[in-house]
Amino acid sequence: MIKSVLRALPVAAFLMGASICRADDAIPNNTVRIGEYWVFYHVYADNLSGPFVPTGANLSVKNVQTPYLAYLRRLAPNFAAEVAFGIPPLTKTYGKGPAAFGSVPYNGVEISSARWFAPTAFIEYVFLNESSPLRPYLGVGLNYVNFYDRNSTAAGNAAAGGPTAISLSNSIGPAATVGLHYQLSHNWSVVASYSAARVQTTLSAHTGGVVRTSDITFGPQTLVVAAGFSF
Amino acid sequence: MYRICLFPGLALAAAVLAGCGGSDSPTAVPAASTAHGTLAVSPPLRIASADAATFQAQISASASGAQLLQLTGPPACGVDFYYIQFWTTGAAGEVTESSGALMVPTGAAPACSGPRPIVLYAHGTQFEKAYNIANITNANNTEGALIAAMFAAQGYIVVAPNFAGYDTSTLGYHPFLNASQNSGEMIDALTAARTALPATFSAATSDSGKLFLTGYSAGGYVAMATQRAMEVTGQAVVAAAPMSGPYALEALFDAVITGNVNLGSTLFAPLVTTSYQHAYQNVYTTPSDFYSATYATGIDTLMPTTVTPYTALFTQGLLPATALFDSTTPVVPGSTQLTDLLAVPVVNPANPITALFAEGFGNPYLINNSVRVGYAADLAGNPDGTEVGSAALAAMAPTYPLRLDLYKNDMRYGSWAPASPTLLCGGEKDPTVFFSVDTGTMAAFWAGLPANVVTVLDVDPAGGPSGPFALIQAGFQQSQLQLLAYLQTPAGGGLSLANAEQALVEEYHGSSVPPFCALAARTFFSNF
Repeated sequence: MIKSVLRALPVAAFLMGASICRADDAIPNNTVRIGEYWVFYHVYADNLSGPFVPTGANLSVKNVQTPYLAYLRRLAPNFAAEVAFGIPPLTKTYGKGPAAFGSVPYNGVEISSARWFAPTAFIEYVFLNESSPLRPYLGVGLNYVNFYDRNSTAAGNAAAGGPTAISLSNSIGPAATVGLHYQLSHNWSVVASYSAARVQTTLSAHTGGVVRTSDITFGPQTLVVAAGFSF
Repeated sequence: MYRICLFPGLALAAAVLAGCGGSDSPTAVPAASTAHGTLAVSPPLRIASADAATFQAQISASASGAQLLQLTGPPACGVDFYYIQFWTTGAAGEVTESSGALMVPTGAAPACSGPRPIVLYAHGTQFEKAYNIANITNANNTEGALIAAMFAAQGYIVVAPNFAGYDTSTLGYHPFLNASQNSGEMIDALTAARTALPATFSAATSDSGKLFLTGYSAGGYVAMATQRAMEVTGQAVVAAAPMSGPYALEALFDAVITGNVNLGSTLFAPLVTTSYQHAYQNVYTTPSDFYSATYATGIDTLMPTTVTPYTALFTQGLLPATALFDSTTPVVPGSTQLTDLLAVPVVNPANPITALFAEGFGNPYLINNSVRVGYAADLAGNPDGTEVGSAALAAMAPTYPLRLDLYKNDMRYGSWAPASPTLLCGGEKDPTVFFSVDTGTMAAFWAGLPANVVTVLDVDPAGGPSGPFALIQAGFQQSQLQLLAYLQTPAGGGLSLANAEQALVEEYHGSSVPPFCALAARTFFSNF
């Protein structure tokens, strides 16, 4: 219940902002969207390297689902700018490789987690004219990722050999999107989209005075279903 | 009007970030102090963890490991392997970091947790700087595996420093065979390990307060030096078992200089001279005073080496493989005694070790004849006691600088004698650290001590097994026969008998004796 209320607060903030800005134009220039993100990470990670790392130690990342928020600005009848991001999801990392290091389980064990703040900015081309209720669109843009709240689990500490601090470098990479917008009324619409981005980061795990690293490339693909309010 | 509409979205982004902000997980903390004995990073890194069954399976995976387990017995405990980093001091008081192993027995059995005794272990001479006895994942770390299987898996907490100059230590040399530094560093490692243990994953195992000391080869020397340092400062040692160590340094080097060139001498020589040059600044003015022009350049920083494997030092022309001395031996004017003393030894076909001595002479060679002449003149006028019917050091302090350094670091210096029970173990055919010159000399030096203070064990007695360690002696001699036979089979290389015997000599100090002496040490410790 509390969680639901907390989730609703940002929405209310959006809508309050929107109400302040409401205009009487025939075609609203601003849209806010709220919906759900399904994120499929598609991870490729180099084996961990550094002192005392067993052969074949690698990582995998579990897909997540998180609320989606976006703001769109109509630039022209067929162009729009979008800034989209999700509520930063807690992304969990799992050991991939040998079943165990000695007697310490590894493969498939949750070893760490981090939250992603990952806003993406798109310039979109929207097909058909503005009187058409169903309008597909294409967009390209840039994705920025900042990782925070980075934690090694107890099992991760055991596998790493001690309390472990994790750092992940920020990433800026290209992004693209394709979607379908359906106008329900003058102000309300629904949208579904598929987006892809490229995220590159270096994971550094600091344990007992040594540092192990892995260069990780994510090809996150996201599916979004959202409702939009234009004003 | 529209422009400000972007603001709510940005505000939301900030709110989301602020709302979800959390702290990152912590890691080990570097020590603020660099005082010697301080644990540099706490808690230490656990490199590996294996329960008893896993450890047994991993050791048994190789033929040599399976043989080792026949000696040690199956693991009774699991073992957690920690990499400890600690602060210590070099031979000239330099503040430096060092590292080593802390091996902790684990498991539910009473012998594997709760208060357990500590074995403080000193490793044998290592030639490569990167050596790290804690890295049990390195298949070449046979000494680490030996002490893990022999001691840690049987319920002993093991502390084993790598020593300054090795691994990540920033000291640019290793204080080789420096009694004061080596013993000080052992005690520093012990102090750091005792600090580390309660902060590890293995905190269910604790220090019982019982301390045993042991080590092999140069580490045997270090173990004895540590026993001396701890006993003279009133620190409790329950028992010690130095193994195959060059304790009587003066006598040993007197023997080498006069032609008994031991196996590995071209590698030991630069370790010794670099160590004593840093400690005493008296070995040479420039390395070419001591070393031949062929090898002098850079030899003062050569060892321990970053060249891997270290045998590449020979192929790269940085050291000779065996030619410690010039095959054209010096003629000392007016002294046929010295001239004869420095001649190439005669090979006796009935005694394989004499062939080894002869291989210590060649050209190009490592050490200048002038060194041999100066050293021999000193020893001729002021001989070690072993040359004149006693076990004492030379009657006076030597005048030749290197010999003086050896004299000061000889375990007879200061006339200390052990108070805690001590086992001296070795093999009498040792071609590297001569048993009679080192273990035999110390046994004779301490012959007047009360019974049961010093026990001498030759695992390879000419007269055959006898006494309380007869089973270990029999096992050793049986293993030598088996190895000799194996080396003559196709699987063992199909060597001729002569070559197989030579190979046996080469394996004797570094591979054959250590597990049997370690077993003897554990058997000895179990009495206390």
